[in-house]
Amino acid sequence: MTTDVNRTDGQMDELKSCEGSTPTKSHELQIKSVSKSNIKDGGGDADDFDAWIKSRQLLKPDDQLDLTEAELGEEITKVLTTTNTNVIQNLVVYSFKESAFVQVPVAGNTVTLMEMDGSALHIDSDEAKIQMEETGEIGYPLPTLTGSFIEVEEDRASRITKGPDEDEEGEEKAAAQAAKEGEDEVGEEELEGEEEEVVEEGAAEAEAAAVEDAGEAAGAPATAPATGGRKRKLLNQFNFCERSALTYTNPRRNVETQTIPPPRSQYGANVLQWNIYDSYADDFEQQQNERDKKDEKRGGHRKDVAKKKLDKAAEAELLNKKYLKAWQILERMINQNIYEEIANDYRYWEDPADEYREQEGTLLPLWKFNYDRIRKLSVTDLLFNPMYYDLFAVCYGSHEFMKQPNEGAICFFTVKNPSYPDYIISTESGVMCCDIHPTYPFLVAIGMYDGSVAVYNLREDFEKPLYLSVGVHNKHSECAWEIKWGPDMADGEINFYSVSTDGRVFNWVLMQNDFMITTITTLFLTNGIVEGPDGTEVHLRSCGSCMKFHPSNPEIYLIGTEEGLIYKCSIAYSSKYLMTYNAHHLTVYRIDFNRFNSNIFISCSGDWRVKVWEDMRPEPLFIFDLGSSVGDVKWAPFSSTVFAACTNEGKVFVFDLNVNKYKPICVQAVVPKRKNKLTRLAFNENLPFIIVGDDKSTVTSLKLSPNLRLMVKPPKKQQYLDQNTLQVQKLDKLLSLVRELPNDMVILEAPTTTKS
Amino acid sequence: MSQEVEETLKRIQSHKGVVGTIVVNNEGIPVKSTLDNTTTVQYAGLMSQLSDKARSVVRDLDPSNDLTFLRVRSKKHEIMVAPDKDFILIVIQNPTD
Repeated sequence: MTTDVNRTDGQMDELKSCEGSTPTKSHELQIKSVSKSNIKDGGGDADDFDAWIKSRQLLKPDDQLDLTEAELGEEITKVLTTTNTNVIQNLVVYSFKESAFVQVPVAGNTVTLMEMDGSALHIDSDEAKIQMEETGEIGYPLPTLTGSFIEVEEDRASRITKGPDEDEEGEEKAAAQAAKEGEDEVGEEELEGEEEEVVEEGAAEAEAAAVEDAGEAAGAPATAPATGGRKRKLLNQFNFCERSALTYTNPRRNVETQTIPPPRSQYGANVLQWNIYDSYADDFEQQQNERDKKDEKRGGHRKDVAKKKLDKAAEAELLNKKYLKAWQILERMINQNIYEEIANDYRYWEDPADEYREQEGTLLPLWKFNYDRIRKLSVTDLLFNPMYYDLFAVCYGSHEFMKQPNEGAICFFTVKNPSYPDYIISTESGVMCCDIHPTYPFLVAIGMYDGSVAVYNLREDFEKPLYLSVGVHNKHSECAWEIKWGPDMADGEINFYSVSTDGRVFNWVLMQNDFMITTITTLFLTNGIVEGPDGTEVHLRSCGSCMKFHPSNPEIYLIGTEEGLIYKCSIAYSSKYLMTYNAHHLTVYRIDFNRFNSNIFISCSGDWRVKVWEDMRPEPLFIFDLGSSVGDVKWAPFSSTVFAACTNEGKVFVFDLNVNKYKPICVQAVVPKRKNKLTRLAFNENLPFIIVGDDKSTVTSLKLSPNLRLMVKPPKKQQYLDQNTLQVQKLDKLLSLVRELPNDMVILEAPTTTKS
Repeated sequence: MSQEVEETLKRIQSHKGVVGTIVVNNEGIPVKSTLDNTTTVQYAGLMSQLSDKARSVVRDLDPSNDLTFLRVRSKKHEIMVAPDKDFILIVIQNPTD
């Protein structure tokens, strides 16, 4: 309604201004723009009113001429002509086609705003009368289409919002109309049709329907015209014909049949949460299988038959494995019950006497590990599995080189089952050494007395070697003393190193199904050229007896020899030793790097001595005489100053250099002196116990008492330091004390001899 | 059962304090036993019921979990049960022996 008013007001103003004075064009425009802005402002009535007031005050442009009364009263004759002076007659346009200016034909004087073919008849015409007679309609003026039509035309881009009870058809129409916004004539036609529709469908509702202005956001409402009069269905008054027919009514009939009742059964089960879970899991699996089958069908059918045959064997195998695993665990349980006291000691017993002893500790014997079938071989190597800390490998061979047995074995025991090894691998020759791969803890490499090496896979079919060196040339010519997995090659190939009495260090690379051997170095002997018969020269070789790789630099390794020398070698140079230590007088049995300082290493020998060395220092830092041949020495994994050694006399020595630099803090006879000799020793990586092997195939586990594993207490001001740095500091402190000494006395000439 | 399994079984029977071992198949019938007939049947029946119930308990608490082993410690014995889908292994041990 407001728009209407505004509009008319604007028109009125126009008229008034026309009457008042001869308005200039700009004036008129201004008024119009004012009225338009009013429309735009929309809703607020007060604004409209202000605008209305404003528009009444005639605005005069500054440059308007002030005319006198006489001039105003002057009559000016205006002549109206048919020619439109505003039309430009000689308009030219440059034509690229003709490359010249071309005159544009004069546009006509007519401007078509709207064009519509009407189908309406004048009500007074003869034709209309005839029609009215035919249809029996009263000469009733149709609802004022024109009125509403004008309204809609005024807000061209308008939309009709319908009442809520308008049916779908109407909405569709409205949507169609909205789509056609902007198209002038077509839209108008639509609108007309629309209006008719509205009227036909009960135009009373249209009274409520508002015509919203979609283009102008203000949405000034405009009412659809009131279509007065009664509701009636408007027929197509121009061409209409009504027909009706009555069809036959079909007679009703009832038919009944009885079906066989579906079979019934009663079913009862407990529904628990896991039943539901299981059935879902089964269903999922089935779906997966079906999907797989579909894929397989694309691939081919033949494989299925072979698979089915395999399946039965595989199933039996699987069942067997399950049986075995269950029995093994049950066996562990039984053993746990049998050795319950030892198991408790192993975990929880701490020797209370240690509190009253100073600088001394004890070893508590735990289990003894035996394999019944091997009684006479000696333990040649002991090694804990790097991943499963309770599992360890025991190599059985012989150090009696005069009567070497023609059998050997490697067994894997776990402390969970001391009665029987978990894995047993028998060999034809005595096993002298073994190593477990650090990243693949199921791969075991062994070196044997006959110089051959083998690799076993513990995960599957562990009784047969995965790789075995065959032939005369593919092995060491003498006993392989130590074997060590190396870091993987650049191509990811797994490889290991071995050292033998024949004076060679081999690198074995595991190829597809065979070894590839490279000689890393041949241990030449300095001044080892001996004159042979007829003026020939014989080059003597050192006999390697142990080997240890540098913990941080995989290229550097130390080799102990039967001559008692220790060579520091590099894989990069095979012709030269980086360092030669005149270490011992007899065979070096073991070299071990300190866990916390890789510059410090320890060696033991058949000459009864254990020596602690620093890298590139020709003299040892410590010398200990243990009173008999020392089979093995190892640094403890938990402390930088603790190491343990075992001797032929059947004793285990534990040293803590931080506690006592001259004496062991524990000497304990583990096996009877006359009957048995201790050969090898190993620290457990996680728990404070060691295992020692003797020459009667027995491995004994010993728990270290608290005094043997003293940890460093962090100083009060440096509580944040962790045990690792503290251990390094402890060793450094100790070393600084020892290093100063040799300035005046070069070597500790008289080694401390321990008597116990 | 393979030779390896038989060996393990023999070894278990030779361990200290082991009173008897029973193997029950997936139908609940004892197929191998070192005990006399009535005891075997009794153990097999009761233990399979117990392990079913125990499994149900474990599964009900967490459906993705499962029962692996069962140890029943009594005044006189320890009964160790390895319940599986396909079999149940029962070992009776006298731990104080």
